[in-house]
Amino acid sequence: MNAAPLARRPLGCLKASLRQARQHRMFARCMATDADADADADADADPGLPTQQLPPPEHDFFRITDRKTKTLRTAFAVYPPTTIAGTPSIAAAPKNVLGSLHALQIAKMDPTGARTALFAKTRDAAKPGDVLMVTHRRGGEPFAGVVLSIRRRGIDTAVLLRNHLGKVGVEMWFKVYNKNVAGVEIVKRRAKRARRARLTYLRKPKHDMGSVEDLVHAWKKSRKVFSSGKGGAGAAGAKGKGGKAAVAGRKK
Amino acid sequence: MAPRLPAGCWRQLPIRPAPSATTTTATTAATTAATTTPSHHARLFTTTPTAAVKYGWSTLPARARPHRFNQVTSGLPAPSTGPAAALKRKEHSTPVRAGVLATKKGMTVFMGRTGARIACTVLQLDRVQTVLNKTRRTHGYWAVQVGMGARQAGNVTAPLLGYYEAKGIAPKEVLAEFRVRDERGLLPVGVQLLPDWFHVGQRVDVRSNSRGQGFAGGMKRHGFSGQEASHGNSLNHRTIGSAGPSQGSGSRVLPGKKMPGRMGNERVTVQNLPVLLVDNELGIVVVKGCVAGPKGTVVKVQDAVKKDPPADEFIEKTKNMLKERFPEAEAHLQAARERHMELKEARRNRTIEDIMSQGVKVSEEHADAIEDIIAATAKEDAADRVRA
Repeated sequence: MNAAPLARRPLGCLKASLRQARQHRMFARCMATDADADADADADADPGLPTQQLPPPEHDFFRITDRKTKTLRTAFAVYPPTTIAGTPSIAAAPKNVLGSLHALQIAKMDPTGARTALFAKTRDAAKPGDVLMVTHRRGGEPFAGVVLSIRRRGIDTAVLLRNHLGKVGVEMWFKVYNKNVAGVEIVKRRAKRARRARLTYLRKPKHDMGSVEDLVHAWKKSRKVFSSGKGGAGAAGAKGKGGKAAVAGRKK
Repeated sequence: MAPRLPAGCWRQLPIRPAPSATTTTATTAATTAATTTPSHHARLFTTTPTAAVKYGWSTLPARARPHRFNQVTSGLPAPSTGPAAALKRKEHSTPVRAGVLATKKGMTVFMGRTGARIACTVLQLDRVQTVLNKTRRTHGYWAVQVGMGARQAGNVTAPLLGYYEAKGIAPKEVLAEFRVRDERGLLPVGVQLLPDWFHVGQRVDVRSNSRGQGFAGGMKRHGFSGQEASHGNSLNHRTIGSAGPSQGSGSRVLPGKKMPGRMGNERVTVQNLPVLLVDNELGIVVVKGCVAGPKGTVVKVQDAVKKDPPADEFIEKTKNMLKERFPEAEAHLQAARERHMELKEARRNRTIEDIMSQGVKVSEEHADAIEDIIAATAKEDAADRVRA
């Protein structure tokens, strides 16, 4: 060891040892506070815990057997999934959650059930090939047309109507449960049930129905005749109930 | 050999040789004088601070002096790299609360009262439980491990069975971790997180794996434009063409070159989706817009990183709800831990069979409580029958 520095710095060793001592003291202080803090936290964390040992919570055992000897190798406690943190809880989440959500929403958007009945898969409901008239809350003129297809998707159920406006074929989708669709009325039923779910062939010139204007006109006329006794409030079926053929999907 | 002292140092010394001596001889003379002549000892231990470090008293060159140069205590600012700095840096982009695991059930629409139609995704929470808290001290960061669903014990490996045993919870289908900002984000272990962990209108980030597309070409995978249909092109209509410049640029393919390969099935985060609906009975959270992946995919839902965290009152409320719903959580965890230690010891000593034959011991208080509950339910049933 080199003694020269010691001789030049006679207090060097003392200083070093003092520094060490200081550091050690700080370290010790840290440790002490830490241990105390932990003890406090423990005491705070479970004041309600009884001092005696708790009974083991309910569980089953899962046995792991040896493949060759078929004897028990080991076993583990397996807790039941119905109990969560010692409290009984709901079992598995419901399966058909999308269906339930649709039902909830439909009940909210269509409390009378008229729209649901109009597009249900029943005899009296609207079918592809029928002529419908939809009153939209925003676009002034009601849109009438023949039903090409009904897309049933719960709350998102929609219907595709086709008409000719000025010799141009026009198709429009309407969301059945949307608030913007103010009313849906059956103008004319198809004489014979279509044997297709989607009447895409109606777009071909050979099968195209053309404009349904005359059908709508005739229907309005007949409604005027029927409703004339009640004060003639029949124009476009704004308020009154339609005839038997016109199942009103109106809710307002 | 000891290094030379700067002149300014040794001149301070009380023991000084004759002023006529040169610098080199003076140093050696000073040491010998200090050690040999007893008459100078009294002056050696003087308290006048003429020979302290701050006056430049050092035997080493300044650069080699052992001082604690990289400590916060030496007056330096806290280091800008390292684990603590990394945590600090990521603090603002780490959510305050843990998130939940969910399953994508499908898409539908949300019809508004004024005719609005919003496309939305239904996420279902199936028995979501907290499994583990990760702490800065033990793991290096703050996080909450969350599990979802249920798995048959036979489909779980032995190490994981032991893990669940120690937690006192049933084996879960999926486990995932959610980083949280600090210890305030940690949750009691074993409690169930229900959809009302979120509130309607808040924004969430949703992470999931996208639908796998398999091996896809450059056109589909990276949107390359492909090659000509004609002008002499032969069988190379959808190939990617050149992979890079030739000899002048090194004749190599640069790293990261976009090429055909596996597409999809990678993690996709959709940020800032508003929550439209929360239903505890159905166990669903409905978020606006779409979420990556097919139906049935597992998604992670957590408070949006790029929005303010939920209000403090709401965070408090959700935490209190956990306490109200699962008051036994802590006691249950403690009991499960004790049971785990007991069983672990038994497994080690190969006496597990004895414990299994004993079954689960139920204390008298426990049994009394169960009997009380049974009696109460029987009474209720009887009352119902009378009413009917």
